[in-house]
Amino acid sequence: MKILNRKMLILPLIIQTLKTHPVIIVLITLFMMFSILYPEKFLTPLNLSTILKQFVTLTLFALGPSIVVVTGSLDLSFVGIWMLGGILVWLLMPILGMFSILVIPLLGLVTGFLIGVIQVKAKVPSFILTLSLLVTYGGLTATLSGGYPRHVRGYEFITARLIQYIPTAFLWSIPIIIAAVFIIKCTRIGIYLYAIGSNEEGAHLAGINVDKYKILAFTISGLFTGIGSIVLFQHLGGAAPVELNLNNMVWPLVAMVLGGTPLMGGSGGPQRTVLGALTFAVVYRGLLLSLLHPQMIQLLVGLLLIVSIIVGTRGLKGVTIT
Amino acid sequence: MEVKLVEVKGVSKTFNGVVRALDEVSIAIRQNEIVGVVGENGAGKSTLMKILVGVFPPDKGEWYYKGRKIPFPKNPKDAAKRGISIVYQEKGVIPCLRVYQFLLLGHEDKYTKISRLHIDKMKKHAREILEELHVKCDIENFMYELPISTQKMVEIARAILSVRLEHEEDDITSIIILDEPTAPLTIEERRELFSHILDMKKNASFIFVSHIIPEVMEFTDRVYVLRDGNLVIHYDLSKKKITEDDLFRAIVGRESSEYIHKPEIERVVREETVLTVKNLTKNGCYYDISFDLHKGECIGIFGPAGSGKSEIVNTIDGFISFDEGVLIVKGQEVKSKELPHVRLSRGIGYFSGETGKELFLNWPITKNISIVNIEKILRKLIPVISFNAEKRMAEKIVQRLRIKAPNVNTDCYSLSGGSKQKVSVGKWLERSPDILLLEDPTIGIDVGARKDIYEITLEMKKSGISMILVSDDPKEYSILCDKIMFIKDGRIQKVLSPEQFKKVMAT
Repeated sequence: MKILNRKMLILPLIIQTLKTHPVIIVLITLFMMFSILYPEKFLTPLNLSTILKQFVTLTLFALGPSIVVVTGSLDLSFVGIWMLGGILVWLLMPILGMFSILVIPLLGLVTGFLIGVIQVKAKVPSFILTLSLLVTYGGLTATLSGGYPRHVRGYEFITARLIQYIPTAFLWSIPIIIAAVFIIKCTRIGIYLYAIGSNEEGAHLAGINVDKYKILAFTISGLFTGIGSIVLFQHLGGAAPVELNLNNMVWPLVAMVLGGTPLMGGSGGPQRTVLGALTFAVVYRGLLLSLLHPQMIQLLVGLLLIVSIIVGTRGLKGVTIT
Repeated sequence: MEVKLVEVKGVSKTFNGVVRALDEVSIAIRQNEIVGVVGENGAGKSTLMKILVGVFPPDKGEWYYKGRKIPFPKNPKDAAKRGISIVYQEKGVIPCLRVYQFLLLGHEDKYTKISRLHIDKMKKHAREILEELHVKCDIENFMYELPISTQKMVEIARAILSVRLEHEEDDITSIIILDEPTAPLTIEERRELFSHILDMKKNASFIFVSHIIPEVMEFTDRVYVLRDGNLVIHYDLSKKKITEDDLFRAIVGRESSEYIHKPEIERVVREETVLTVKNLTKNGCYYDISFDLHKGECIGIFGPAGSGKSEIVNTIDGFISFDEGVLIVKGQEVKSKELPHVRLSRGIGYFSGETGKELFLNWPITKNISIVNIEKILRKLIPVISFNAEKRMAEKIVQRLRIKAPNVNTDCYSLSGGSKQKVSVGKWLERSPDILLLEDPTIGIDVGARKDIYEITLEMKKSGISMILVSDDPKEYSILCDKIMFIKDGRIQKVLSPEQFKKVMAT
């Protein structure tokens, strides 16, 4: 009797989960499809490890912005924080030694706070504001670095292998992911951010300090990007690049949208971004294995973004924040 | 006897094979008359209207045009060809268009010559129709520049125009469906709108869908009453005199007096003052407002649109700052530029009945209730939300307010208008602030839900919550208030007791 009851509970739960996170179906389907298409290449430990690596990159970049996107704003500054942070580490290394890595989260925090304050006080669209900031940071990075990518040694321990085939960066990302999901799901900050994104006037009426929480959203986003960038700094080669890479900026957005976060606010969040990032990593790896020309893959990724935006936005009504 | 212009007979409609929305309903519209269609939410009014304009077909039924049987319209354009067009409750206006552009929107093909628009011809035509219907506005204005009542008039003009442009016969009379046209309007604007509609009666017939009984009584020639998908009764107001109570009984199927009169007995006002307003002035809005609000008291601020009544309430809640005067909340003087969230922490809540203003539509009921009650559902050790406590809180409210929903995780957009309002009120019931400001608490909801909202409000009042009411419905003041202030041009004219108020309103 008891077992029967439990069974009857589990099935609706699964259906409910799939309804709110349809991307899971996509993920499983693609995974199975690629496993059948490339039986020898896809299901190898090395390949799966590569997928995890890319997943880490996407997730750590997209976690912060997916907190902001809940309020209906957009934060594109993440690549900038990562780049400028890297070069600041290189600059401060002689002075601060190993502690200089902590400048990245600090930079993230300050940047996020600044964006928040400017956005709230000047009432400018966050998209163009953060994009401008990204370009500014890119320029600053290039200037400070003198035009060459600067390699920093001493932080190899961050990604030193602990378990065979499992990237250590992935292990690092787990607590960060949990923290982000926790903030958005289980604290009042999370509820208030959803409220602002869903109905800003209603949030005012419910006595929420909208401006404060908007600033807070950007600040948290910056902090998460900063913390993630510590891992990414080493994960992506231990050097700060001096040129903006469009893929680094667009792919995390694709992961976000693919996960089912419509960019208009009020729903979605980090928990979906994680699923989206995993799906994107699988898709990308599958496409690479197909021996398509890289430019062709770029095109397909673009199309994927368009399709997932349409699906994600049209499915808005059936989507809840639970 | 005039000809029946359009008559539908035995219209039935079932949704999903289960929900019977309409059952054998027949109505007729004659030339140049205003027909009222009234009923509670879910009585089938909207379904019937949507069938009339061809949004969806009925399961069965017959359509007669001047006594000749023809099929039902397939889509709104088809309906317009038969002379029927609809003005929706809200969101029908496109604010950024100029009046003439809006009037002719969708009919540009009639003014096009080799893909070039004849702007002059459009303007001329627009001017003509507005003149004919006596709508006074400049066609070069943007829609958003017009007062809301004029916007409605332009919408009606547009509906008439679209019928004329789509018609097949030359002498067609338009039948314009007005779906609760007065919901966003204040009393003054309503009067203006109605005088215009009466004026237009010689140009068109109207079907007037509404909740508001006095309006229907005053402006319609005949009234159809729908209840639970059935046509309950049909009154010809020109032949037979009926009272508001008759109509009310027909709509809800129960007596109205039971809630109109009963609560008056329980008027207990405590001595303690929670809010003091002294010589409050906001230049251009209101001047020299002074009053004391006691614990458990409800003060009504009554006045015409633009008299400053809503500005006063919005000042107390912190949406608007004031220029001069003193505002004392629970013994503490507060600053002019204090934001709503600070005022809430002082114990001032604000409830507005306007749909979607306060509610988070894509949220479940639980979140909508917990949004102002987060302190209550945080765990003790670390400030983390307890989902169980949240659910329990929502269940308690849903049960107490008899909100019709499958469960507390139902998203609010799928609830009926009355239930939505109850969820909004429910969160304040749970929070129980010291002062609750009510702005149009029952706007746009049906009589049954209204009764429930009044009961909840009175209950909250009894438990010691003080209130300030601003509304367009005079009846509401006599039900809820202990004291009513008349305000005109931003100044208090007189202060009345509910009994005096009733007498004044009756004359």
